[in-house]
Amino acid sequence: MNERFDTFRPPPPEPDPWQTVVATDPGDDEALDPRDAAALLEQTTRQAERRFELQPPYLLFTAAVTTLVAYGAVWLSVRNQNPYTGPSGTALAVLYGVLALWIAFVATFMRRTLGGRSSRRQQQLRGIVFGTIWVSVYVLEGALYHVDHDHAIAYGVYVAVAPLIIVGAAAAGYQAGRGNRTQALLAALVVAYGAFAAFAGPSAVWGVVGVGLCTILLASAAATLWQRRAHA
Amino acid sequence: MTSAGLDPLIHVPARLRIVATLAALPGDDALSFTRLQEMIGLTPGNLITHLRKLEEAGYVGTEKSGNGASSRTSVALTRRGREALEEYAAALRGLLGEV
Repeated sequence: MNERFDTFRPPPPEPDPWQTVVATDPGDDEALDPRDAAALLEQTTRQAERRFELQPPYLLFTAAVTTLVAYGAVWLSVRNQNPYTGPSGTALAVLYGVLALWIAFVATFMRRTLGGRSSRRQQQLRGIVFGTIWVSVYVLEGALYHVDHDHAIAYGVYVAVAPLIIVGAAAAGYQAGRGNRTQALLAALVVAYGAFAAFAGPSAVWGVVGVGLCTILLASAAATLWQRRAHA
Repeated sequence: MTSAGLDPLIHVPARLRIVATLAALPGDDALSFTRLQEMIGLTPGNLITHLRKLEEAGYVGTEKSGNGASSRTSVALTRRGREALEEYAAALRGLLGEV
């Protein structure tokens, strides 16, 4: 029995090649033709940028579908409510279930994309800042409900648009600071859309945000694909 | 066409690919040796030789983390390396513009 368990021991970590491998002479120090060098530089840069890309079109597409299903499920459960009481348990289960699936998908993608990359201080700081902002969104929801027990605001308009406005504003500032023009403008568009969507009221806001956000994400995926084809 | 005016340290296929790949990393991110090797497709021995040449010139920096079997070496382009690549790309454009 013990022997059987022994076979399930995790393999020891592979040694770092930098420490263990003997340097060899590659023997390829021949000079390049400048035309070939220019082509190689462009091709390598493009390939590397795609490997490091954090928002590839298919990820934006899955985000669009997730948004439509999650917000759509809540909208279906609240569309005929008068007075507004909030989403049903089934709608919330669909909302959080779909979100959990998407987060697991993104986490797998991030592990693959970020694997081998390190800038620990920046990543930790980014995680702390955005984690605090997300938690604050829901703390404020609790505070709003605590103040006047208004379902239409706390469980309707606010919770549907606040993540877009608050987290979107933080993301827009972050991307603008890094000089990522497209991502900064996309985040700013989401913020503006979230603000206008609030006028739809506690029931309709779920449908308006679901359809609008899905459209913005699909347009962004299409624009990324178009940019890639233009540079190919 | 001559390659006069091009940095001889970068003007080699393998090192050009190493420098261009590291330059595509955002900010001050570094890349593990094994991931860089997987992306460039060189043997570890050859990659180390090229990296050491770039490191001696101050174009890349390496950082070791962890101890013993769990140690990892990360590689990043230095500011000097990024400037050298920019100058190299500008020199290439100049040469090709003359044709």
